[in-house]
Amino acid sequence: MTRFILAAGVAALAITAPAASAPGDDRGKTRAETSKVERAGKARAQRSETRAVRSDTRARRVEARSDRVETRRAGAERRFASVQERRADRADRPRELRAERVREQRADRIRDRVDARERVVEQRLETRGRIAEQRLDVRDRRADRIELRDGRRFKGAAARNEGQLRALAQRDVIPLREWDDLVRGGIWLNGCPPGLAKKPVACMPPGQVKNLIGQPVSVLSSQVALQPLPVRLSALYPDTDDYYYRYGNGYMYQVNRSNDLVSSLLPLFGLGLLTGQPFPTAYSNYYLPTGLQPFYANSPYDCPRYVNGYVYEIDCVTGVIEDVDPLLGYGYGYGQMMPLTYSAYNVPYQYRPLYFDTADSYYRYAPGAIYQVDPTTSLITAVAALLTGGLNVGQPLPMGYSAYNVPYQYRATYYDTPDAWYRYSNGYVYQVDPATMLVTAIVASALT
Amino acid sequence: MKTTLPLSLCAAALALAGCGQGDSNNAATAQPDAAQEAAGDKTIAASLDQNGRFVQAAKAVGLDATLAGPGPYTVLVPTDEAFGKVQGALADPANPENRAEITRVLTYHILPGVVLAEDISKAIDNGDGKAILATMGGETLTATKEGDAIVLTDSAGGKAKVAQADVKATNGVVHHVDAVLAPPTGSGDKPAG
Repeated sequence: MTRFILAAGVAALAITAPAASAPGDDRGKTRAETSKVERAGKARAQRSETRAVRSDTRARRVEARSDRVETRRAGAERRFASVQERRADRADRPRELRAERVREQRADRIRDRVDARERVVEQRLETRGRIAEQRLDVRDRRADRIELRDGRRFKGAAARNEGQLRALAQRDVIPLREWDDLVRGGIWLNGCPPGLAKKPVACMPPGQVKNLIGQPVSVLSSQVALQPLPVRLSALYPDTDDYYYRYGNGYMYQVNRSNDLVSSLLPLFGLGLLTGQPFPTAYSNYYLPTGLQPFYANSPYDCPRYVNGYVYEIDCVTGVIEDVDPLLGYGYGYGQMMPLTYSAYNVPYQYRPLYFDTADSYYRYAPGAIYQVDPTTSLITAVAALLTGGLNVGQPLPMGYSAYNVPYQYRATYYDTPDAWYRYSNGYVYQVDPATMLVTAIVASALT
Repeated sequence: MKTTLPLSLCAAALALAGCGQGDSNNAATAQPDAAQEAAGDKTIAASLDQNGRFVQAAKAVGLDATLAGPGPYTVLVPTDEAFGKVQGALADPANPENRAEITRVLTYHILPGVVLAEDISKAIDNGDGKAILATMGGETLTATKEGDAIVLTDSAGGKAKVAQADVKATNGVVHHVDAVLAPPTGSGDKPAG
């Protein structure tokens, strides 16, 4: 603005200056005076010329100044115009700019906050990790101490046990009752603590067996004395495209065929052994509980043994199992507690659509029966179904199946002819060759 | 949407079917009409006298649920008079200590599958006068004929005559017998399995 006023002033001066510097007037004078006047006139003319020259010079200067002023004014106008233009532009865009700036500021604040939070979380995680590590250290130290203590106890108990066994070995005759009392009193058998000696899992506690789940089958075979799957069990658990089974130490192991990892455990009542098989020597000291002794005569020829719900009648000389009695009526049944080893659902396939775990009741299979179990108390609330030993294709028809027993709905289709008999067992209808008495095929599944 | 609706309907139907199955856990399996007609509309557990000694004993050991299940089973039900003649555990089924013995006795009276009187008769004829029948307890019974009547003999030689045969149920058949059969106590017959 100031520049504009200055420029205007300079312009006004430029306009008025030439008028002020115009040639002098023609005024009347005398002759005498004329010479003087002439001299003076000459001088005046000279002066006047000089003045004119000066005036010209001044006029040129004024013109030059005027030019400069003009130039300056033009520059000032240009600058003014550009300033005006910028102002106009700025006036057009103020909201957008402000909003953009606010957005940027907000984003910055959020970014800062997120960064701060991440830093806090990182710090917390670090702290937690340190605490967890410290806890683990403490737990490790505690576990070490417990292991050491247990080791000492184990050694002490083992030494005592060895002493007892040595003393017993020096005696010729040990009355059975006394032996039972010793067993009950805590003598170890086959190197197993008394708590485990009565179980088929012997030195393989359930917790330890559970660790095998998810392990490769190679680890399983290194830790468990695997045996061929008994016929009784292979009939109930045939290998499928997805799974195959291994058996040992009183458990059946379901192995995933795709990756050879143990997918689940099927704990078994008894050993799942059949008549005609050798009784494992590891269990030769599993005497009958007192409650069962009146039912099984202990003679030089018959050596009954009891393992977790099964009585095995064994030929004392050959060690071969002569008879296996399922002990639904002896050891386990209604109102009793289902062993903790039966934590896994193990109902045979053909019965699974009928008996599946619900919130109200679980179903567990043990040779001879499917039990209904209360999930909260683990008590057997009912015997859901009775099962027989089962038939297997290729095996001889067992004794006791001479009578036709096919369910109603299959009688019209599967009836005995001179060429084929049909028999029902555990949910399946089997075809039998009357000439050889061999089971030749499964022809129907009665439960699905 | 067109795809999800039928899918969700299927899922709902599946869920309902699942629920139905859960409810009918202890019910007999569905049978075709003809078979249903032949079998009647009651399970073995429902067709027996609820106040009878056999049902009372079965309830005491949790076998009533078994007889209401899909089975199928053939049940030899001794009359109440026959129960009256037996001493021991069966005389006091309410005592939990007797459960094991009662279970053994009752499972000795249950055979796998549906064995009609006619089937036993044929088996006796084919077996030169006797037929061995497997029981659910893992033991065996011997069936013979006395005239037209079928007689069942336990391992100790105790006999029970079939008094009323072929009382059909949805999950098996009941034969009423006039005596309680005793399962072997020691090393008796080998189990069927």
